[in-house]
Amino acid sequence: MPKVQQHDSGGSGRGRRGRSARVTTTLAEINVVPLVDVMLVLLIIFMVTAPMMQQGLAVNLPQSRRATPVTAQPVYVTVPADFSQRRVVQLDKDDVPIEVLQERVRQVMLPREDKSVFIRADGGGRIQDLITVMDKLKEGGVEKVGVVTTPPTK
Amino acid sequence: MTHIRPAAVAVFTACATLLLAAQAAPPPQQPTEVTFTISSATPGLPPKYAVPDFVALTADAETQAAARTIGEVLWADLKFEQEFYMIARDTYRTIPPAASLDQVPLDRWRELGADAVVVGTVRKTGSGVVVQVRLVEAASGRAALSKEYSGSIANPRLYAHTISDEIHLTQRAGLKGVARTKIAFTSDRDGERMKGPVVDRGISNIYMADYDGAHPRRVTVTKSLDITPAWSPDGRAIAYTSYRSGYQDIIVSYIYEGRMAKPANGNADRQNYLPVFSPDGSKIAFTSNRDGNPEIYVMNRDGSGIRRLTTNAAIDVTPTWSPTGNQIGFTSERSGTPQIYIMNVDGSGVRRITTEWSDRATWSPAPYNEIAYAARSGGGFDVKIWDFATQSIRQITNGIGSNESPAFAPNGRHLAFTSTRAGKEQIFTISRKGDDLRQVTREGMNRYPNWSQSPQ
Repeated sequence: MPKVQQHDSGGSGRGRRGRSARVTTTLAEINVVPLVDVMLVLLIIFMVTAPMMQQGLAVNLPQSRRATPVTAQPVYVTVPADFSQRRVVQLDKDDVPIEVLQERVRQVMLPREDKSVFIRADGGGRIQDLITVMDKLKEGGVEKVGVVTTPPTK
Repeated sequence: MTHIRPAAVAVFTACATLLLAAQAAPPPQQPTEVTFTISSATPGLPPKYAVPDFVALTADAETQAAARTIGEVLWADLKFEQEFYMIARDTYRTIPPAASLDQVPLDRWRELGADAVVVGTVRKTGSGVVVQVRLVEAASGRAALSKEYSGSIANPRLYAHTISDEIHLTQRAGLKGVARTKIAFTSDRDGERMKGPVVDRGISNIYMADYDGAHPRRVTVTKSLDITPAWSPDGRAIAYTSYRSGYQDIIVSYIYEGRMAKPANGNADRQNYLPVFSPDGSKIAFTSNRDGNPEIYVMNRDGSGIRRLTTNAAIDVTPTWSPTGNQIGFTSERSGTPQIYIMNVDGSGVRRITTEWSDRATWSPAPYNEIAYAARSGGGFDVKIWDFATQSIRQITNGIGSNESPAFAPNGRHLAFTSTRAGKEQIFTISRKGDDLRQVTREGMNRYPNWSQSPQ
């Protein structure tokens, strides 16, 4: 961490008022704390279109026009419309209470090269619910989250 | 040291009659135990185990503490051999404890992904505790293991260690876990200053601790230096080098009988050091300068029948037996720098296996055929392993601190060694693949680890 220094004027610190003022501009180290913060919250989120074959509960997926197709061997987490009440999601086909989701996801992610998960969330759900689920996924070792969407209905 | 051995933890089935006679109580209902292996429901992962706290059936604080300890230690013991995926204990919070061994909330454990749940109870009795344990398959509710142990409450960890070894044995095709083994080592932790022939040096004694560093106990009491302990194969005795007479003697301490033997005493011209028992326990290989410079010798356990194996103007030290007892590895300076050599037990067929500065060889137990040693790297040493099967060397430690004195666990799957990575020399364990590093000692300076070859 850089040394904490006194400034009389909060400006550039180039004031020339004797010896003590001259040292105030030195800041040789990179402050890594904000960088680490960024790394910790970083979770790559992208949109995908729903594949033909789907697992899990029926949900009304959000609509999107600019989404790529889902690729091989995906892991799906379904966040149903009643998640706010029941606090249960589906990991592939299993019902999983939100409190243990991170452990279940960890078990699935550990042997996999590809640390990504696709979320099938109900389009009418709350953002907070989605974020709660993503938090748990991150805790379980997920690096990328795909949000599954469906093309807009005409 | 006659009281080292903890009160026997007896398997119920083995001593049922004895218990009944003592308590005149009906035996607890034992479910029919079917031997089967619990497999993993997750591709690519080993079976997933959950070990919640055991349930205290009596309300006193001691029993409750024991129930917690057994769960914690058992979880760690099972994790050590890396045979199971151990579900983190902090995820168990929301799952209610089992009301009894027959009422385990298996649906909740399945939600957590558990393939197996180890549930147990601890009940205080007049003379100690009764610990019941069941290994339950989460999918079916069947018990793959069901045991009852009774004994003292003084060391609850021992129940966990015993259960862990039993689970590895039955669920992993006869795997011999190391939960009940001990590590002997040299330590200056008691800090007295030495008085006597060797002036003004710190004293050092032999200690032993559980494999995970718990329960450290002092084995020797001297105001001199007792160093380089080596377990007898049956775990009943420790041989070591002692300076207590002023010269280097080899002493064998029978730790459970409180008796001592001195098979090789030193004098001004004759120093004896670095003893190691042969795999059958009948002989001791050691180093001595009795014929002028340090050479390797073998003697019977009682000191009779001394044979010299090396004849060389250079220094030959640190013998280690092959698991068959037919060969001995050692360090020799005959090429100019210390290197690891092997030879037949009659001294013939000497062959060098290292090319860089190396010392402190230790031969693995079967089924592996490997020699671990400390190789000089940079300013210190790193532990490396020579594998006879592939004729290749692999590095175990990664250059942090100086890493020396490797010693294999009895199943060959881990090594103990000393390292300066945390400051003063301390004992660590690491897997033979180089992962799962754990610090075992923290108090004083600790050196020369040696891992007991049988459960204690």
